[in-house]
Amino acid sequence: MIDPVILQQGSDWRAQAEIFDEIFFVFLALGTLVGTIVVAYTLWNVYKYRDDGNRSDEEFDAPVVGELPTGQGGPKAKKLFLSFGLSAIVVISLVVYAYGLLLYVEQGPDDGTEGDIEIMVEGYQYGWAYEYPNGHTERGELIVPADQRIDLNITSRDVWHNFGSSDLRIKSDAIPGDHSETWFAVSSEDVEAQGGEATYRVECFELCGPGHSQMKSQVTVIPQDEWEEWYANTGNSSESASVRPAGAGVTAQSGVGA
Amino acid sequence: MSGLPPTTSVKRWFVTTNHKDVGILYTITALFFLLFGGVMALLIRLQLWDPTSQILSGLAYNEAVTAHGLIMVFWFLSPFAFGFANYFVPLQIGADDLAFPRLNALSYWLYLGSGLLLAISFFQGGTLSAGWTIYAPLNVPMYTPSIGSTGAVLALAMFVTGTTASTVNFLTSIHHSRAEGMGIMDMPMFTWSMLATVWMMLFAFAALLAVGLILAADRVLGSVYFSATEGGSLLWGHLFWFFGHPEVYIVFFPALGVMLELFQTFSGRRLVGRKWVIISICLISVQSFLVWMHHMFLTTINLEIKTLMMATTIGISLPFDLVVFSLIYTLIKGRIQFTTPFLFAFGALLLFILGGITGVFLGAIVLDYEFRGTYWVVAHFHYVMFGGATALFGGAYYWFPKITGKMYDEFLGKLHFVIFFIGFNAVYFSMFLGWETPRRVFEYNPEFQIYHQFGTIGAFVLGFSFFIMFYNFAKSYVSGDPAGDNPWDYSRTAEWAVSSPPPLENWPDRPSYASGKLEFVKDFVPDGGPAMKTDDNGDVATDGGDSHSTHISEYPYWDKHASHASIWPFALSLALGVTLFGFSGFADAVTVELGETALQSDVVISNTMYPIAIVLGLVGLLYTGVKWGLEDFYAPPSEFAERWPFNGVEKVKLGMWFFLASDVIVFGAFLSAAIFVRYNAGWMTWSPLTESLPGLINTFVLITSSFTVILALVAARRKSRKGLLATLGSTILLGFTFMAIKLWEWNHEIFDRGVTISANAHGDPIQASIYYVTTGLHGIHVLLGLVIAIFLFVRAYQGHYLDDERPIEYFGLYWHFVDIVWVFIFPLFYLF
Repeated sequence: MIDPVILQQGSDWRAQAEIFDEIFFVFLALGTLVGTIVVAYTLWNVYKYRDDGNRSDEEFDAPVVGELPTGQGGPKAKKLFLSFGLSAIVVISLVVYAYGLLLYVEQGPDDGTEGDIEIMVEGYQYGWAYEYPNGHTERGELIVPADQRIDLNITSRDVWHNFGSSDLRIKSDAIPGDHSETWFAVSSEDVEAQGGEATYRVECFELCGPGHSQMKSQVTVIPQDEWEEWYANTGNSSESASVRPAGAGVTAQSGVGA
Repeated sequence: MSGLPPTTSVKRWFVTTNHKDVGILYTITALFFLLFGGVMALLIRLQLWDPTSQILSGLAYNEAVTAHGLIMVFWFLSPFAFGFANYFVPLQIGADDLAFPRLNALSYWLYLGSGLLLAISFFQGGTLSAGWTIYAPLNVPMYTPSIGSTGAVLALAMFVTGTTASTVNFLTSIHHSRAEGMGIMDMPMFTWSMLATVWMMLFAFAALLAVGLILAADRVLGSVYFSATEGGSLLWGHLFWFFGHPEVYIVFFPALGVMLELFQTFSGRRLVGRKWVIISICLISVQSFLVWMHHMFLTTINLEIKTLMMATTIGISLPFDLVVFSLIYTLIKGRIQFTTPFLFAFGALLLFILGGITGVFLGAIVLDYEFRGTYWVVAHFHYVMFGGATALFGGAYYWFPKITGKMYDEFLGKLHFVIFFIGFNAVYFSMFLGWETPRRVFEYNPEFQIYHQFGTIGAFVLGFSFFIMFYNFAKSYVSGDPAGDNPWDYSRTAEWAVSSPPPLENWPDRPSYASGKLEFVKDFVPDGGPAMKTDDNGDVATDGGDSHSTHISEYPYWDKHASHASIWPFALSLALGVTLFGFSGFADAVTVELGETALQSDVVISNTMYPIAIVLGLVGLLYTGVKWGLEDFYAPPSEFAERWPFNGVEKVKLGMWFFLASDVIVFGAFLSAAIFVRYNAGWMTWSPLTESLPGLINTFVLITSSFTVILALVAARRKSRKGLLATLGSTILLGFTFMAIKLWEWNHEIFDRGVTISANAHGDPIQASIYYVTTGLHGIHVLLGLVIAIFLFVRAYQGHYLDDERPIEYFGLYWHFVDIVWVFIFPLFYLF
């Protein structure tokens, strides 16, 4: 296995969103390039070899009905294998490159400063319940601190759901009787940039019943000190819309782009 | 002599078994389902116009999404392709018909019947709403309680049954009935693609049949497979995608075959690297069974397996690269004619290139994590599957002159293509732009509204374009110019060597490629002897014929006309449809209240319609099945045919082997399910539910019955009627003994130990479900075997089978298979 440390650029962690954007860009650029070349080459040849009635009969051997195929290898097999080899190299190198980053995404950053926070996420028809290490349960909104790795342990109470946030580029299946894991972290710069509270849309990505469309939630990231203050007050009140720090009004459905 | 009414008679279309008629039925029915699924698509697109408005309820939207997916994938794409395959594969290989014409008609009627069941399910409290992937446990009655949901599941099972019959038929035909001199590498590319398709279908659809039957058991009989937290959800995922990934190629390959044909015909060039394309197609078919977990990268599958699946996924894209390049290079230096069929085939290539490139994105796991469940996936598979189907529309224009004898309108055809291509890209490319929208969600992020509105407009344009095609075909059929036998300059394949439309039995004389090109050979038929080949350089050609010279059949083929009509395929399908309709409402209409013993239990029937339908249907099945068996239907064996690699295997035996191969997968899936769930529950936490003694006795009973079947074959060969009756009779007795012990055992479990299909007083309920469902499926196989055995016994009593013991032999194959399955079931359920 490739040592993930190489990919971490020192002790700096990289958000999944950042990794995704990088790979996506590389794939998109190469995909567009290859696609354009192949399609342009094809179109050009189709135009060039159109039947305009002016072509000479030389080296044109018209097929006849009822012939058996001859020359199975064909005269252009060499060219065929050259193109095939080139495309294989492009595809394989792309995937090997992406695989290196997969190992990082799978393991997450090795950021042992504060210890990770593990949140149990349970999907149900139609919402998400978040259980903190102290037993506090939150519905509708996952409130976490900035600059810290958050581990999610995801399952479902009823049917198969899929917990995902397009903005954070995280996603994981929520399967009854099974636990899947993912992680994310948001830097304090990002939180600052959104005015001291960053919110990210959470949606369900697996059809789960008539309310699937409405199965929404959000991740709210606040500065560490604010979060700790809030978290300390949650211990005694489980499962409630707990008191939020001043200034952090509950906003419904504010997508990060909005 | 054929007894087939003219094409203008309505009756003809109910009784025909001719491959060309059945092909037309398939094509027209599939186009009807295209409209049906298309209406569902437009409903979806209307709802997506505005994320804040609600035209459909959440449930109705899910039903539309589910029905759209199911109809397009199952009831449109494959049957549309099979319409052409029915019509043209026999013509391309030089056969008179498919190997089993009645079975072929049955496949069609099962297809139509299953489609009607699906349509009926909309009126049974709403159809299935769990998506076409039907993920568990949303697929169990607790979450999708409507009767129509069960109806849709049973419709799917019926569809798959018909498909399996069709698969066996095509495999046997292509491997058994190729004209003399047409080696397997010489087959036209469309036939090659169909061969690869049906090989994949044989195994993939068996897995789907298994998972559909398990789901039906959950929904109708109350087993608890998919609601079990011991891996029930993942069990569905694995079994469904083991089918589901090959299905992508099953849908795409016929279209690829059309592309390969049309690129050659309209460029006047022969396929570049033909051998390598064929090898690629075979490789893809095998590899398609090794990639399914890439649909499940976000489940709890571990990294090592994910890595392996990523590698196989990338691996499968490589042969496709080669095929695409071969298509492109075939055009170079050609004389490309921009006819409507070519435009569609060429458009399909462009769309497939885009679908393929975006598929590589999905192969990279990190990207797949984000694309999972989004419109990226939706856009990708529409570009691949519907993009492929684009070539099928090209095929429709290409073969329209052959089927109707009339030429389509070229201008309208081109207009259709232009509008189709613009509409296609408008609706599906916009999905790439708005890809972050979750699938099957209509209250999406308003940021993406512009893309979805663009897509909705595109969808209506796309839908409209098909009416140009329908108008074109209708108008041309009525008043088009006569097309002649071969309207294309550079066509090569044999369907263009006969009239348009071809005669009922296809050929003026026996087609042969022995000289290297198609010729029609007159066979010399001596009085009272088999036809002799006039030339002597075709040793291979006669290999397969040998089996017939040793078994003189009841009807010497030179003295008998081929049959082309039977009502029993239609009747059998009707009976099965009624039965399954009955079962769809069974769980709601019938409740069983268990008492102390079986006799003290109450059966409460709240709705008599469904139980009556079941009884009527089962009686009908038995009646039509017996009538089928008694009907004097003659499908001539192809005496001089290329049969590699199955030289020397008789036709029906070959078909039987193919059927058993698919049944191996069905049982394999059931046993895998048992093992998978037990592994998830903790292997050692389960001990056998039942005592092992009855199972042990039953093992001996079944193995003994296998011996008596062998003795029956020996007796028939010795022409001993008494011996045949005695051995067949013993087999039947042993079979009933097996069933009686089984019945006692179930009775004991249910009433003495409290173990029912959905409850278990001694452990996990899922363990009880698995026990009843798996041994139940085996029991049904035994029962079916007994029905056939009784049929054979009665016929043997009347004096049959002494001249031709093959039916005894084929029944024996089936019976041995059922016994072998028991040898696997016994240790798993009784010993460990």
